[in-house]
Amino acid sequence: MASHGLILALGLLVGLSTAAHAEPLDEPLKPLPTVPNLDPKRVQLGQRLFNDPRLSVNNTLSCASCHRLDKGGADDKAFSLGFDGKPVEVNTPTVFNASLNFHQFWDGRVDSLEEQVHMVVISPTEMGSTWETVVKRIADDPDYAKAFSNAYPDGVNEPNIRNALADYERTLLTPNSRFDQYLLGNTDILTPREKFGYQRFKEYGCIACHQGVNIGGNMFQKFGVMGDYIADRGNPTRADEGRFNVTGDEADRQVFKVPSLRNVARTAPYFHKGSAPTLEKAVEVMFKYQLGREPQKNDTELIVEFLKTLTGEWEGKPL
Amino acid sequence: MTLSRRLGLAFIGVLLASILLFMYIESGAQQAASHIESRDLIRVLKQQDAVWDNEVLKARVALSHNYDPLVSPLHEMTRLWQRLDVIESEPGRHAPSLWDTQRDEYLKAVKEKTRLVEQFKSHNAVLRNSLAFLPTAEDDIQGQFARLSDADRLQLQNVAIDTYDLLLSSLEFAQVTTEDQAAEILLGLNRLEVNRDRLPDGLQGSIDILRRHIALILREQPKVNELLQGIEAIPLAARLDTITNLLDTDQEQAAAKHQRNHIFLLLFATFLVLILIWLAIRLIRSFAEIKRVNSALQTANDELEQRVEERTRQLKDTQSELMDTARQAGMAEIATNVLHNVGNVLNSVNISADLVSRKLRSSKAQGLGKAMNLINEHSHDLGHFLTEDEKGKLLPGYLNQLVEAIAVEQQGLTDELAQLSKSVDHIKDIVSTQQSYAGANTLMEPLVVSELLEDALRMNSGALTRHHVTVIKEYGEVPRIMGDKHRLLLILINLISNAKYAMAGVSNHARNMTLKATVVDEELQISVKDEGEGIPEENMTRIFAHGFTTRKDGHGFGLHSCALAAIEMNGHLTVHSDGPGTGATFVLQLPLKLAEGEP
Repeated sequence: MASHGLILALGLLVGLSTAAHAEPLDEPLKPLPTVPNLDPKRVQLGQRLFNDPRLSVNNTLSCASCHRLDKGGADDKAFSLGFDGKPVEVNTPTVFNASLNFHQFWDGRVDSLEEQVHMVVISPTEMGSTWETVVKRIADDPDYAKAFSNAYPDGVNEPNIRNALADYERTLLTPNSRFDQYLLGNTDILTPREKFGYQRFKEYGCIACHQGVNIGGNMFQKFGVMGDYIADRGNPTRADEGRFNVTGDEADRQVFKVPSLRNVARTAPYFHKGSAPTLEKAVEVMFKYQLGREPQKNDTELIVEFLKTLTGEWEGKPL
Repeated sequence: MTLSRRLGLAFIGVLLASILLFMYIESGAQQAASHIESRDLIRVLKQQDAVWDNEVLKARVALSHNYDPLVSPLHEMTRLWQRLDVIESEPGRHAPSLWDTQRDEYLKAVKEKTRLVEQFKSHNAVLRNSLAFLPTAEDDIQGQFARLSDADRLQLQNVAIDTYDLLLSSLEFAQVTTEDQAAEILLGLNRLEVNRDRLPDGLQGSIDILRRHIALILREQPKVNELLQGIEAIPLAARLDTITNLLDTDQEQAAAKHQRNHIFLLLFATFLVLILIWLAIRLIRSFAEIKRVNSALQTANDELEQRVEERTRQLKDTQSELMDTARQAGMAEIATNVLHNVGNVLNSVNISADLVSRKLRSSKAQGLGKAMNLINEHSHDLGHFLTEDEKGKLLPGYLNQLVEAIAVEQQGLTDELAQLSKSVDHIKDIVSTQQSYAGANTLMEPLVVSELLEDALRMNSGALTRHHVTVIKEYGEVPRIMGDKHRLLLILINLISNAKYAMAGVSNHARNMTLKATVVDEELQISVKDEGEGIPEENMTRIFAHGFTTRKDGHGFGLHSCALAAIEMNGHLTVHSDGPGTGATFVLQLPLKLAEGEP
């Protein structure tokens, strides 16, 4: 009898706990992880560097010039302007949650944020600088020199600048989106339409590529599985070859990193060339060229409504 | 110990220490520990690889729609590999190039597998999507068929069946991908293409979509299968096994080497212990030797001490003998001295006695006897005789003269006896002085220098008279002094006596002796100057030496004892002579010590 009582009590306890905290949902999409525990001195340094135009050769551009944290961590233009005032080749992806992407850049040519920093700084169309110049500028600033020697045993040097920036970017997560709250068990947070949107998202197969913790950003995919989008769009450039430019593999032609859909409502225009000005347009293109499907009436709207629930918070405020 | 021997020992010490250090470093257990860690890392690497494979398969069978698990194992593996690489790239762990080769092979395999997995992800995603869509598409088409009129439906029955067959074939193809199946699907697709034109517009679109998806399946399925085979064929696990084997082999070698080092260390330790034992034995022996030598030394020392004692005793004996001899000699010397001095005084005594006896022999007292005889002859008529008799009448006058003479005689005798008694007193003094000589007692008494000189002259008076010496006295103003009367007398008597002797041979001029007493600079100077034979230059230094004499009957004692006495009184005795025949002057110099009551 006693043992039965114990089991009953245990059962009640389990029941209570499930009632208090709803179980997270087991979905192909996963909520954001917590911000990693990093050395605040390095993060602070990274933030200063992120906003410092001295990283560009002519002191005109900082990282934040294109990755505008008030514009969803991206640019509102299809093409950001480089240090020379000329537009760059591809649309600026958001810096938010970038650390969760398995590779960086549209063509995924690097797989760490440190390397991403490197590529941008030395890019002749973006910052156009050299590390020699950047390190000298930073080292000549006594404030920086002091902060660096506090944060790094070997003071100002290229790897440390890259690491500080990367560490700062690792803190740029946008938690607490409504959809994440939903995933964490708060199923009432979404409206029925949004839930339908999510269901459509899964049914039509968007989820085949846009899944995981970053809702994308974990695989490469050909742009134009079911049709030649680039030909239809017209005006193809070298950038349209995507990953082929990195690997030289024919199979990688027009293959791009699947972008994250987090905060997608705040990062228009869309696609690697910013060719889709609105979410609706982007969803339509995806239906046609990736899924090879005709959306049912209203389904695009539902999906767009769902996508809007993916907007998270930065510094406690929605993006 | 010589320098070279020390250097040799130092060298051996340094050598042994370095061997020990070398062996200690060689026998470090670090290799084993890092080997375990490496093995562990490889095990986890293999695990992650298996997880990766597993996730690929899960994606393949559409168990999972999340591709994150296909990314994370790679990250984990990269991290693990970096740690392993750090450990194993350390120099000396593997034969050169062996590890590099293995590492390159592994990295190549990982890179290839990553590439294939990435492609698999892309292709599998669209394939799964299309496969998942097929039933929906079929439902959609069948639904549209159902909505057709019966006549149309009958007409399109074959198309519906074909579509259905194609769908089934495609689903089957997803499971069993063969060439035949592919050909059949291709055939079905062509048939659908042909049938398409016969369909109504609404159905055409649906059929097109279906066709595109089946075409995609037809395209992607073999691709995915191929990729899977490729992934499977990547010998990543085999590479890891090879690395494990390499690690094991190297570890075995290291362990063998380790064991060998242990044996060497053991041998070396034994060697060191033996050296220690040998050194201990040497030390014990050294101690024994030192002890033995010590006791021998002790014995020798004791013997030496005994001999020294014996010698000391002998020396003492000899010394006491010598002292006895010396004492005897001293006694003899003293006796000689005393006798000499006594002899000098006795001379005076002798003279006095001689004088007395001569006086007594020629005494006028005999006349008294003659007078008494005359009286006795005339005793019966004494009155008559004295008044009448010629002879008798002269008698009283004679008696009166006699009385006077006797009185004079008596006075002379008394004087002479007093002189005699004085000389005897001096002898007594000499003897008593000599008796107290050992203590060097000096009897200080108030003295008048002139009296002292007179005493000394008186003691020599007889001899001086006999030798016809004229004494010239030049006494200055000398106060009463405190002095040793006896010693002063001794010196003066000797000097006067010597002066007298020195002038014994003088016949061509008067024999003058000058006595002088003065006070010069707080110093009493008494000089005795003769005009005798003088002193030759060569004798000037020897004159005060013991036993030196120029006289035939002299014993060379007088001046020596005088000089000694002068020194004993803190003074000194000097002599001056211009040479033989010019006489000599002896000067006694004494510190002036005034008697009480003197200014």
